[in-house]
Parts: sequence; structure tokens; C-alpha cells
Amino acid sequence: MAVEVHTAAPGAPPRPRPPTSPGRWRGSETLAAWLFLLPSLVPFLIFTAGPVVAAGVISLLDWNLFSPPSFVGLHNFARLGPDPTFWSALVNTVYFTFVTVPLTLLVSLALALLLNQGLKRIAVFRSLLLLPYATISVAVAFVWIWLYIPHGGLINSLLGAFGIDGPAWLVSDTWAMPALVAMSVWKSFGFGMVIFLAGLQAIPQQLYEAARVDGASPWRSFRDVTLPLLSPAMFFVVVTSVISSFQVFDQALVMTNGGPGVHTTTLVMYIYQTGFLNYEQGYAAAQSIVLFAFIAVITGMQFLLQRRLVHYDN
Amino acid sequence: MSSSPCSRRSLLKLAAAGGLAATGALTGCSSGPPPGTATWSMWSSSPEELKVWNDFSRYVEKTMHVRSLSSLTPSAGYAPKLDLQLVSGTASLVTALNGWMIPTYAARGSHRALDDLIARDPDFDRDDFYPASQSISSFAGKTYAIGFDVAPAVLYYNKSLLDKAGIDPPSRTEPMTWAAFRELAIELSGPKGQYGFTCAPLMDDLISWIYSAGGNVMNKKQDASALDSPESLDGINFLVDLFVKDRVTPPISNLVTEDALANFLQGNVAFMQNGPWQVLNVRDAKFAWDIVPFPAGPAGSTPRVSGSSFAIPSGVEGDDLDLAWRLLKTLTSTGALDIYARAGRNNPARYSAGSAFEPPPANLGIVQQILAGKVGGGHPYDVTTNWNRVKQLLAQDLPRAFLGEVTVPGVLRGLTPQLDVLMRQHKDAVRQATEDA
Repeated sequence: MAVEVHTAAPGAPPRPRPPTSPGRWRGSETLAAWLFLLPSLVPFLIFTAGPVVAAGVISLLDWNLFSPPSFVGLHNFARLGPDPTFWSALVNTVYFTFVTVPLTLLVSLALALLLNQGLKRIAVFRSLLLLPYATISVAVAFVWIWLYIPHGGLINSLLGAFGIDGPAWLVSDTWAMPALVAMSVWKSFGFGMVIFLAGLQAIPQQLYEAARVDGASPWRSFRDVTLPLLSPAMFFVVVTSVISSFQVFDQALVMTNGGPGVHTTTLVMYIYQTGFLNYEQGYAAAQSIVLFAFIAVITGMQFLLQRRLVHYDN
Repeated sequence: MSSSPCSRRSLLKLAAAGGLAATGALTGCSSGPPPGTATWSMWSSSPEELKVWNDFSRYVEKTMHVRSLSSLTPSAGYAPKLDLQLVSGTASLVTALNGWMIPTYAARGSHRALDDLIARDPDFDRDDFYPASQSISSFAGKTYAIGFDVAPAVLYYNKSLLDKAGIDPPSRTEPMTWAAFRELAIELSGPKGQYGFTCAPLMDDLISWIYSAGGNVMNKKQDASALDSPESLDGINFLVDLFVKDRVTPPISNLVTEDALANFLQGNVAFMQNGPWQVLNVRDAKFAWDIVPFPAGPAGSTPRVSGSSFAIPSGVEGDDLDLAWRLLKTLTSTGALDIYARAGRNNPARYSAGSAFEPPPANLGIVQQILAGKVGGGHPYDVTTNWNRVKQLLAQDLPRAFLGEVTVPGVLRGLTPQLDVLMRQHKDAVRQATEDA
């Protein structure tokens, strides 16, 4: 039997123990590990992995929920090509994501920097700014419907005070999507702000002092100290925001129902309409698979970029 | 005092036992009601509605001597919940269906035709139901549901506002012509912040103008769109012009919560197009009001007649089917509909329950006269087996015409090819359903 011998120089710090290989686990430890995993593993398999596999199978079927399904191969995927509403929904979703995420990042970062200036009662401000994120989307959406009312709404009344005739936000081809974006940024900046604030507070002050001693301007400190050390937090916020933005549904449903025309119809909304209003489960599942692939590719690209842009403190 | 430490192993055992117990409890909870229970589904969105359905339940228990179990869901979530219950085989013995959904469900085989049950039940008096209700509850020549309410769209008017303007109220029985109605709407829109008319910029309201112009959404063969026919265009243009050219309507602020009733209740709108199902809500108005027949277009006063019904899911068989049929008859009986009508909910679907639907407003009886064909007329809502999609398509594009952003021909140019495809699919579904039958 081979025996592995570890040697260390006298006085050197003890080496970390190598991880125990699964084969060396005792049976009871394996059982304990599985038991601890079960509460999250079972719901994951039932409510996440299972439906993903089921969606893959259903995407190959023609099924109206009530009649027996029939196998149609890739026909549902072929239907996506000439479906103008699908492409409009995809473009709307991409537009929403690529405008909402950067704006949310900027607002979150700005507020986190502001709160990190040693303000008194920071916990109060932090809680207040986190409120929109903690509030139910549908309730927020209804409040914003009132804000956007063309005649007598708060936003147009404020614009009117400066002599600007505000548009009919939610029924305008031009302004409906920006109106949704503005509401979504307001709703979600709190999440990024809290993450950024935690990241900022974890940056050692000595680094800023060293930069100051070297004659770095505040902008240079921000660019060369804050941003690199905040990049892991930023990466996390970007990935989660992109994923949630691609799944935008409730605010568009409540505020515009996808209109006017299909100007604010998002992909998830179209999937819902296809599956539960049009009873085309197979076609809806095919759209879901495409959305899943789209998010997977975008997230994969983000992870690739992470290697070059994100700096970990190790 | 000595403490007894809890070892990791015993903690795990406890957790596992707790998990198993919880699973067992949940499994036990998932069992359905006991056999012989009269289960029925209905939408319910307010405390007033809840009271009506609780009264229905009591009536069922008193009449049938069985336990009544109603599954009540807010109207917005009713259809998705019903779909899931139908698919999972957990639907009630009897389910309420909105009239425009009956062809959709019938064509997909989710509910059974009732003709065999009607034929062998001498107690069931089909002729006591208004013809419009019978038409709404049928599909491909078969009866799939029995109506519990049915009503034509009518015109509400703000009597106080007309009095203030020195204008006589419209005739209680003779429908106004479109020209006379338009003239009045323009005249009453004069002062700032006052409007002549309000309705939703959607097909559910537009269709009454299309029918009254002699048009329809689909052609007679039901295989192509007829929205671009000259008659339909007359109806669409008339209503769109009220919004865009005459500007007699309150401005549209959004496409989701735009609410004709809320506009009318402000007290600054002279006329509102709506169904008598809103009578209960308008009774809260702070001004005098009444209803008159819908304005008469080139084809007369033939507004949309819509209604709701009870139906039996396809999976109900054996003893359950017998119970379901008795339950359905009880829920649509004169006694039950009297409860419904006395609560002011809507116009009951049976002639024999009509006396329970009483004023105010003073002219409420006009609804029954319209349904009986004595005054004006009505047009059952012609819908397709894929009406959800048609409705969705129309809801996306039509409001743009009401906003003046796109012309009516412009909207129809984009809509017609898509509607034609849906109509052909509908025709195929009807053919398939007829062959299967």
C-alpha cells in the first residue's frame, strides 16, 4: 500500500489539508451530505430541472392542453422564423435589457458611492433606497401608471411646469418602452446599490491612502482602485440583472399589456400569450427553449469576458 | 441543571422525520372532496359577488340535499386556473364559462355536449331561456352550456348633465339614430373637461357599432375576416371618429386600466356604452341617470349580446354525471337566478326569472324587452374557437386607431392577413369538431 508522505520545512506555516476524496467519506457522512442537500436538491429537480426537460419535450409536440399531444419534430422551432411577433418580442426584450441594465448599474453605483461617503444614518438611507426593490412589481407598476397619466399625472405636471408638453407615455409608439425602462430602473437599482455598497466597504482604505500619497486624483483612485476591486460585485450584478431583464414580464403586462401594437411585448409575455391564451403549448415551449439558449449564450459570454475584466483579490 | 446535548446524528434523524411527516401531511391534504359533493367553479372578484355565490351554495344544499362546494376565483385568474384543473382532472363537476370562451373549450373537447342529457330530462325547459343565451351556449349545432345571465349593451346617460344643458332625455324605447347621437355627444362635449361619450377602445365595445352597421368580425362562411367590409368599416370609422375627429371622449391615458365606468362615474360624461351588468356599480353615482337602447346604425340597433353559462367538463361520468346535471339545472333554475337578479348582478338568462331584475334605474326593464325582441334588437357575440388570439391581436392594434396614431385602413391592412389565418384555423376547428361529433 502506497503511503503519501508530506514534509514541511521547520517553522513554515502548516500546509492546508488536501480535500478528502469522496471515496474516503464514511457512509454516514455521505448520507448526511445528501440529507443536507435534499431540501434544495429536491425542489430544484422538481420545479426547475424537471420543467426545463419537460419544456424540451413539449417543444416537439403539438398540444393544446386538452387534446392528446402529437409529435411534430422541430416544426415549432421552424415556425419561429416567419413569426413577426416573435421577432418583435425578441428585439423589444434585447432593447429593454441593453438599456435597463447599464442605466441600473450607473444609478446603483452612483448611489452606493454617495452612501459610502461616511454619511450619518446610512442604514436609514440604505433602507429607504432599497424600498422600491422590496416592493411588489405589480403594485409599483400601478403607481407608475398614475405617474404617467398624460393629463394630471405627476410626471407631465412637472414637465408642464417647465413649459414641456409631456407625451401620452404608455400609449405612445415612441415613449412606451422608455417609460417601462425608467420604471424598471427605479424598481431595481436598490439591489445593485446594496451589493456595490458592500463591495465598496470591503476595499481596504490603505489602498486609497497609498494612491493619495502617490498623487492620484480622486478620479484616478476611482478608476484604478475602486473599479478594479469592485469588478467582482459588478460582474455579479450584471449577470443577475441581464438574466432578470430578459425575463421581464409583470411590469409590461400591467402597464401596457404589450402595446401599443407590439411595441412593449416582451419574449416572456409572448410565451405566456402563446401557451395560455392561444393554447399552443408546444410553440410556447419552443420559444422558452430559444429564450433559455439566448440567456445561456449571453451569460456564457459574460463569463468569458470576466477573465479579462474582473479582478479578484487573490 | 444538566443539559442534554443534541448530537448531529439525532438532529438529522429529527429533520428527516419532520420532512417525512410534512410530506405525509401535504399528501393527505391533496385529496379531493368526498363523493357526492356538488362542486362548482365560478369567478368572484368582490364581497358582493362572494355573497351571491354563497347564497347560491345555500340554495343548492337546500334544494338538492347535498353538500355544495364552490371554487371561487377572481375573474382575471379564472380561465388559467380552470385550464389547469381541466388538464389535471381536478375540475369541478360544473364550471362557469364566459360565453365567448364556449367555442374555445368546446372545440378542444374540454367540456361535453349536453344534448343527450337535455333530451332525456322532461323537467328541463329549454324554451324558458332567451334565444340569445341558447345561441351563446351552443357550438357546431350542439348545446355545450346552460346560460345564467345574458344581456345586450345599452347606452347609459347622465340625466343631471343633460338637464343642466337643457336637453331632453333620449326616448326610452326608440333607439337614437347614429347622427342624432353624434350631434348630442358633440353638443355635450362643449365645456372644458366635459365629454359626450365614453367606451373602451377595444373590440368588446367596438363590435356593437360594427353589428349595428351590418358588419361583423368574420364573413358568413367564418373563414375570413370581414372587418374590412364596407359595413364593418362604417361602424369602426364612426366610433373612431368620435375619439379622434370629434374628440367627444375622455383622452386615453393608458391601454390597460382605461375604464369607461370610471369615466362615467366622474359625472362629466353624458353617455356611456356598457352592459346592464354595470347597473349595480352605477347605482353609486352621485347624479341622476338611466339607460336607453343602443343607438341605431344603418342595420338598426343591434348591439352585442353577451352572457355566461354553466357547463360540464368532459371527464365527468357515471354517478358524477347525474349529480353534475342536477347541479347544473339547480344553478340555472329560476330560483337560483332570482337570487342572482335580486342582487342586481345582471340580467338572468331565463324569462321566468325576469321579474326579479327591478329598477332603479327606471328604464331597466328595457333590457328584457330588447332580449325578447320587443324593442331594438341584439346580436349574439359571434366568436371563433381561437377568440383569445383574435382578441389579443385586435387589442394590440385597434387602440392605435383610437389614439389617432394609425388610420383605420392602416390598422386593417396589417390585421386582415393575420385575421384571415386565424379564421381559417377556426373553420378547420369547427370542421374537425363537427366530424368528431
